[in-house]
Amino acid sequence: MKPSAKKTARVTPRATAASSSVTPAAKPPRTPRAQPDAPPVVVEVVALRKTYGSTVAVDDIDLTVRRGSMFGVVGPNGAGKTTTLSMITGLLRPDSGTVLVAGSDVWLDPLAAKRVTGVLPDRMRLFDRLTGAQLLYYCGMLHGLDRSTASSRTEDLGVALGIEGSLNRPVRDYSIGMVKKISLAAAMIHSPRVLVLDEPFESVDPVSTAQAIELLQRYTASGGTVLLSSHNMALVERVCDSVAVIVDGSVLAIGTLDQVRGGRSLEERFVELAGGRSAVEGLEWLTTFSD
Amino acid sequence: MVDHILRLKLALLASAFRGAASAVRALLVLLLAGAVGTALILLAQEVRVERGDHQAALVVVASSIALGIVVAPLSAGLGSALEPRRFAAFPVRRGELALGLMLAGAVGVPGALAVTLGIAVEIAWAGTEQAGLAIVAGVIGAILVIMSSQYLVAVTAQLAVTGAAVRALTAAARLTIALALAAAVTAVLLVQSGDDPDGLVDVAAVLASTPLGFLWAAPAGSDTEIAWRLFGGAVAVAVLVAAWPWVVRRIVEAPQRIRSAPAIRGLGWFDLVPATPSAAIAARSVLYWTRDARYRAVIIALPVAPALMMVALAVAGAPVPLLWLIPVPVFALFLGWFAHNDVAYDHSAMWMHVAAPIRGFSDRWGRVVPPLLIGTPLILLASPLAALWSGVPEVYPAVVGTGIGLLSTGLGVSSVSSALAPYPAARPGAGPWDQPPLLGAAAGWTQSFTLLAILAFMAPSLTLAVMGLLAEDAEMLEMAGWAAGATGFGMLVLGILVGGVVFRRRAPELLGLLMRT
Repeated sequence: MKPSAKKTARVTPRATAASSSVTPAAKPPRTPRAQPDAPPVVVEVVALRKTYGSTVAVDDIDLTVRRGSMFGVVGPNGAGKTTTLSMITGLLRPDSGTVLVAGSDVWLDPLAAKRVTGVLPDRMRLFDRLTGAQLLYYCGMLHGLDRSTASSRTEDLGVALGIEGSLNRPVRDYSIGMVKKISLAAAMIHSPRVLVLDEPFESVDPVSTAQAIELLQRYTASGGTVLLSSHNMALVERVCDSVAVIVDGSVLAIGTLDQVRGGRSLEERFVELAGGRSAVEGLEWLTTFSD
Repeated sequence: MVDHILRLKLALLASAFRGAASAVRALLVLLLAGAVGTALILLAQEVRVERGDHQAALVVVASSIALGIVVAPLSAGLGSALEPRRFAAFPVRRGELALGLMLAGAVGVPGALAVTLGIAVEIAWAGTEQAGLAIVAGVIGAILVIMSSQYLVAVTAQLAVTGAAVRALTAAARLTIALALAAAVTAVLLVQSGDDPDGLVDVAAVLASTPLGFLWAAPAGSDTEIAWRLFGGAVAVAVLVAAWPWVVRRIVEAPQRIRSAPAIRGLGWFDLVPATPSAAIAARSVLYWTRDARYRAVIIALPVAPALMMVALAVAGAPVPLLWLIPVPVFALFLGWFAHNDVAYDHSAMWMHVAAPIRGFSDRWGRVVPPLLIGTPLILLASPLAALWSGVPEVYPAVVGTGIGLLSTGLGVSSVSSALAPYPAARPGAGPWDQPPLLGAAAGWTQSFTLLAILAFMAPSLTLAVMGLLAEDAEMLEMAGWAAGATGFGMLVLGILVGGVVFRRRAPELLGLLMRT
């Protein structure tokens, strides 16, 4: 019992301090529903930059994500989505710029920021010799949960994501979709304030995607914040309330879903922003058939 | 049908020479087998069976070579092994299949070597009263070796359902052959050196009472012993031959063994340790040490290094009892040193530690637990024996202290170096002897620098131990032991703390480094 008491004691004062430092004007709300119009900023990215040699992967990006929001980062392949999210979660050191998560600077006070962040990275391995249950328990331990909390949350998440039947099998025997689901569970087990999910629905079947989305919507409804990346426009359009379009390391459009798509479908707007038209030019030979 | 299988076997043997690389390999195998066979025949002519040590060496050499031959088919990787299941889809009468496979097993390098071994035993006993008995023993022995090998192939083919399992089996078979050859060579060298045949006679006596050696020891001994051994051999051959068709039928007809990971109830090691980040990391680490082929390979290889060193030094003429002081420190040194690239074995799964709010020393401390758990009991158990066998009085404190000191210092240094400069390692799921795609020069630097650092930190107490040994000064030896232990404890604590700071500072860079491999 002692560890869980300690946990609550640790989180509450920081939460208040965090909200007040980010939005000094607004009083920190006592309950999540207190101020539906202007929820506090939970993730703030300022002038984030990362270069690899002469290639600029992320070019002074600014992002603001408010509490309770489902924020989608969309962009073509190689636009810098994964790089950006990695820098927000503390997995990749930026060249310059700051990232504040719930008021803590990820790169100056990493422990405080990592305590309130849940991460699902793209294309990274898991400790796949562990069983699903062991992996979730392990993740819970790393985030300071106590034994009974970690075990009961493992069961809950297993049921919620429909993988309870596979929890006693080694993760290396899982299919790709199941690995995504167990990763999502691992990201959520310590009930973080912010979830940063890199391509969470890639190669997940429609039924499981619906399950996971329902879970995420319940999470945001109760005050959690989701920052996810995807190149599935239809999905982002369906689940996200705010969107940022990143192309070549720069944010081309950011705002609520309606602001960004401006009366059209997100996909049309995205293709227009990403400049997809020009690529089709110069292929006239393809339209004159050889026979 | 039987001749079909034999023809298939010959075609398989011939195919080994197709393609330059495999032809070279096949030639090397043939050369090795030829050398072993020639050596057997030549040595057999030198044997004077009336001498106790010669007789003992004969039993030891024959037993170890027999063991090598039995596992030899596995060392080729099972790829072209004629095992019953491969014929399951063909309409072959089971009896004919069994006969064909049995005969095919006698054709080829292992079969030829088994026959050579039998002949060598007969030559050794030729001209004595027991010559006739030796011929019987040799024939039964050769058949027994060939049949056992057949059974082994059939059984292991059922186990080798994954690529990793095949590689593990192949590696184990090759290691067994190497050890068997080493044992045979050691026995011959011991007899030639002429001193201390007692140990050899004891080993031979033990082997003579096992299935491995009882036939090779058969011509010696009392009449009733001889009768029993030959009778036992004949019965064994009869049982193996009679059961073979049944085994073949069973393997062919039983459903394919499907690799199904058994469901694991509970959390295993995680249930046994406290609910803290360090303990969880330790539990995860122990689980990987025991279950991951890459770690297991090290656990298997670690005792081999000191053993090889001892054999090499003994052959070079070092006094044998004193050599018993080598295994414990060398084992401890390499076990501690091995941890220097531990994070690389996680590959990108390390992100979990980077993304979690854990302190650096939790990660460091968790990783040193398995080697400590493996090493400490082994050092404590082996040190008294090593001290006893070395014949040096009062050397025990120095042995146990140096062992613990080298292990802990090694783990301390490794804690820092694995956070500072890891290099590519075999990927998760790879076989134990698989090499990483790209090693780079950094690997060599890290490896040698880590080893040198461990030795440098331990240098004062090691010097003290050597001085005590030379002066036969009990007090100095005891002091060396305490000094080594204290150095180890200090370096372990310091290493974990410094390594923890380095890990926390460099975690993102470390992850980037591991992902690039």
